[in-house]
Amino acid sequence: MIEVEDLAKHFGAVRALDGVSLSVAAGEVVCLIGPSGSGKSTLLRCINFLEEPTSGVVRVGGRRVGWHDHDGHARRASARELARTRAEIGMVFQHFYLWPHMVALENVIEGLVTVKGLSVGAAAAKGRALLEKVGLADKMEVYPEHLSGGQRQRVAIARALAMEPRVMLFDEPTSSLDPELVGEVLRVMEQVARDGMTMLVATHEMGFARKAADRVMFLDHGKIVETGTPDEIFGRPRHERLRRFLDTVLV
Amino acid sequence: MHLDFGVAWKFLPILLTASLMTIALFVLSQVLGTVAAFFLALARMSPRGWLRRPAIAYIWVVRGTPLLLHLFFVYYAAPAFGLTLDAFPAAIIAMSASAAAYNAEIIRAGLQAVHRGQLEAAYAVGMRYDQVVRRIVLPQAVRIVIPPYMGNAISHCKNSSLASVITVPELMLTAQMIYSSTYRAIEILTVTGVIYLVLTSCLSALQMYLERATAYERRGLGGARRRRLRLDAPLPSMPA
Repeated sequence: MIEVEDLAKHFGAVRALDGVSLSVAAGEVVCLIGPSGSGKSTLLRCINFLEEPTSGVVRVGGRRVGWHDHDGHARRASARELARTRAEIGMVFQHFYLWPHMVALENVIEGLVTVKGLSVGAAAAKGRALLEKVGLADKMEVYPEHLSGGQRQRVAIARALAMEPRVMLFDEPTSSLDPELVGEVLRVMEQVARDGMTMLVATHEMGFARKAADRVMFLDHGKIVETGTPDEIFGRPRHERLRRFLDTVLV
Repeated sequence: MHLDFGVAWKFLPILLTASLMTIALFVLSQVLGTVAAFFLALARMSPRGWLRRPAIAYIWVVRGTPLLLHLFFVYYAAPAFGLTLDAFPAAIIAMSASAAAYNAEIIRAGLQAVHRGQLEAAYAVGMRYDQVVRRIVLPQAVRIVIPPYMGNAISHCKNSSLASVITVPELMLTAQMIYSSTYRAIEILTVTGVIYLVLTSCLSALQMYLERATAYERRGLGGARRRRLRLDAPLPSMPA
């Protein structure tokens, strides 16, 4: 469902991504772990072209992101084509980025109305069901600033789910939450995973990776150092760098 | 000193009629200047140099030279380009051009105050640039921009008095004509000042109204929005 080939992203002299290749099968949950600055966020941001890769190819659902393949020739995708591709890729951000001038329900249905052209009424019915599913039935008409971090992130997940994306990218979704709010967000993510969503999750929550991931990838200095099942990564790490990383996070 | 406000009273209808011209000058140039300013601000923020550089140059020149000069320039320079303008359209052009330069920077400040992450979240659900601007950036920017924008509008309203120098029969020119024939400068200027004060007070009141109307998080949802969102309908319970 997600295919990444030899992806590189340079910021000046810094190689944030240095030749990353991976693939995520439909329905698979893959967790990206690694130290801060290892390239996890950049990788996710390149997959939906919020960041333009320096080189390499990204495909989601067989379609190339940011480029239009035509008879073996590739040209840059138009703004319209890129928007259409992004609508199929859900993204959840570390800092939520809910739109503060809209209540929770309006945040969830904004894409349905503006991008998919649904009527507000039809979109609202769907949005209400989604907010109920993430446990926020009583917060539909609350503005983001009156929600806790955990509630905001659950609204953000509902907002991404509303578009019925083919894949979901999570960029450290619990890293800016108070510890006691992490659980409610992880439970929603586990529910999304059980529903069969293809997920690529950058996270520092090793408990979540161990429990929910089909595969775990360890990134360091812009490269995938090791890939394996949670048992392999956490139980029998092969690389010294991964062992040292796990020692620092699993205290 | 002997004051005779009877003179001012007698000429009040003429002053009020002239203030309609002041209002026309202000409203028309403010609206044109704001529309132009919006596109100027977008150009000013563009990553494309051929859009950004002319916008920077325009703002630099127009903001850096007096409106009085622009008025003379448009009025007296137009015939050299084979175009004879009446005083009123010349004033509208000069005042709109000036308002555009100032408002562009105010609008830019508002647009840039919206966090980049908000835009990324909008792009991530599949919105295009124009949708992001319309649905995400503008509603938030409008609110941020109200105090500086209205402050500038008040200045602009008063600056319409400069159009008197190119013979637009607005409030200031009319006042000058009245007191130069009646020699009642104090009375006429006092009444004229009160009329300007009423006009600018309306703008201050409008500002307060707009600030209240856009304080969304304190106001909550209105009835129309609640109905559109069908918030009062029973919850469709999820199948287990």
